[in-house]
Amino acid sequence: MRRRSSNATLYLVLIIVLAIMAVLNPTRFLRVRNFYSMAYQLPFLAFLAMGQMVPIVGGGINLAIVATANFTGIITAMLLRALSGGSPLEASTLVILVSMLGGVLAALLAGALSGFLIGYLRIPDILATLGTMILLNGVNIVLTKGYTLTGFPDALIAIGNGVFLGIPIPFWLFLAIAVVFRMIMERSVFGYQLYMIGSSYTASRFAGINTRSVIMGSYLLSSLFAAITAFVMMGQLNSVKANYAESYLLVSVLACFLGGVDPLGGDGRVSGLVLAVMILQVISTGVNLMRMDPFFILAMWGFIVLVIIAANHLSGRFRLQRPLRGLGQDSGLADG
Amino acid sequence: MRKLLKQTEFYLALVILLLSILITMYNPRFLSAENIFDLLKSFSVMGIMAVGVLFVLILGGTPDVSFTAIAQVAEYVVVIMTLRWGGNILLAFLTASLIGGVLGRLNGCLVNMFRVPTIIITIATSNIFFGLLYVFSQGQVIYVIHPLFRRFSEIRIGNLVSQHGVYFGLSLMPLIWLVVLILGWFVLNYTRMGRDIYAIGGSELAAERVGIPVRRTKLFVFTFVGVLAGIAAVVHAAIVQSAIPNSLVGQELDVIAAVFLGGASVFGGAGTILGTFLGILLLAVVNNGLTLLGVSSYWYNIFVGAVIVISITISAVQRIRQKKTRVKVQVDSEGWRV
Repeated sequence: MRRRSSNATLYLVLIIVLAIMAVLNPTRFLRVRNFYSMAYQLPFLAFLAMGQMVPIVGGGINLAIVATANFTGIITAMLLRALSGGSPLEASTLVILVSMLGGVLAALLAGALSGFLIGYLRIPDILATLGTMILLNGVNIVLTKGYTLTGFPDALIAIGNGVFLGIPIPFWLFLAIAVVFRMIMERSVFGYQLYMIGSSYTASRFAGINTRSVIMGSYLLSSLFAAITAFVMMGQLNSVKANYAESYLLVSVLACFLGGVDPLGGDGRVSGLVLAVMILQVISTGVNLMRMDPFFILAMWGFIVLVIIAANHLSGRFRLQRPLRGLGQDSGLADG
Repeated sequence: MRKLLKQTEFYLALVILLLSILITMYNPRFLSAENIFDLLKSFSVMGIMAVGVLFVLILGGTPDVSFTAIAQVAEYVVVIMTLRWGGNILLAFLTASLIGGVLGRLNGCLVNMFRVPTIIITIATSNIFFGLLYVFSQGQVIYVIHPLFRRFSEIRIGNLVSQHGVYFGLSLMPLIWLVVLILGWFVLNYTRMGRDIYAIGGSELAAERVGIPVRRTKLFVFTFVGVLAGIAAVVHAAIVQSAIPNSLVGQELDVIAAVFLGGASVFGGAGTILGTFLGILLLAVVNNGLTLLGVSSYWYNIFVGAVIVISITISAVQRIRQKKTRVKVQVDSEGWRV
């Protein structure tokens, strides 16, 4: 049974971080323009984090998520070029849709490989997705020959870069998808079974859950999020490359943990994850406004996670020694 | 279990052998001493770090991903220190190991203090190490480093002449890797600490109950990973003759993959130095072979990824087959046979 953790700590941290950034940037932080730019940047990390949350809740991890996103982007870009006869900028709506569909199918194929290795062959998730990741990185490099592909039609760029009613389109997408995602994770049979599997693989099997197909489903869903991330990324960068955003792989795991998703699986709420992504975004934007080195953001993100771990430790959340669950045989993410 | 482990290394050696024969058939230069020395030299940085990764994986739980960030910090600091105050190579190794050891120990302390998976702690610390390094270095690449690194990298053992009349010899880098391998092998097999590491990996609860100092052992392992990252950092600086703040970070998952390939288990308690060496050697042979066969190095990742996916699939299918033939024993709730 899933334990519903409260998000009180996260709300508190978000308010504190907002206050600190407002004080440090007295003239620039509390501006509409600044919130607009946060709304523009946030969906990218949010979609990646959602895609990472799905397998983690099921007791796994998807190390191939960024590679899958790049794979989607590259396949879409190549299809666009091929189907539009070499002039992707003037591609018709149909061509754009078919190319995007091709990209999504490519992502699902990658997810199916991980899902098969993990769900059907019972290969530990870290190992399986590490293999998928390296394989996809290879495919990405071979497909692009290391070059950057650029030049996409306006309709595709609008997904990541457009504005609707004064709010960035990616943020509208984020709102809609977050609601649907919450329904899937917390209201659907699939979601419920995924939490069960994350809590105890063995118990779920005995309870008659089709663990294979649920795990397969979780990696497909995770890859679908990778595809959505790819479309947002294509719009915002107007290019695709074999190794974009590689450093965001580990950040997506961090965001899940910060959002209260149990790294061993079986627990975590979508609302917590959204709050965590907001915290990371506020830090990132605030640090940027101070004209600090962008890499200082990485350090701040790491630091805030350690602070949260320490705070949770002091409040006793991690002090309760959890029983050694089959010594990690249920999930690859055993307690280190 | 022992037999299964031996199998992993046996198959790995077989694959390497077959690949080597195949590559040699197309390009006999593969087996020249010059090429082998070069191959070993270019993978010694990864090889040294892999020994540390093996220790963490034997311990069980999730991998440490911060060792490349630690090496990066150690490399940059040592390069700057030697530029400013001079020194010698021994001092460089000592300083780098010390920096690495301290940062690694910090990881160990955090892992011991909080019951949070290693991967989470080390993603956080790796972000902090790497982020702060970038802030302080402002991302500046140091192209001119102290000549002591060049002198060190030019030391050769043996003086051979290649077909093209170029003098070459075995560089010291692979020898340092060899020393680290022997050290790791000795610690794992012939010291109390090493046996404790395997015991904790087998079952942390059981290890604790029989009185193995679990926390002290973990602290040792994480410090050791850091020290090795420091050693790898100096070797790296000597090979590339520069200090680039992002030249190592991003390789951590490749190193971890190589160690898994060498037979380390995700569940801990298993893995050998020989397997780890062979895992890295396989990557080195694939990388070198592609170049010698005239295939674009872009194909490297596809080959490595395919090897990993195929090998884990084969071992999974074997395991499923074994399970089917295994005799089932009924046990009651306390684990007694009924």
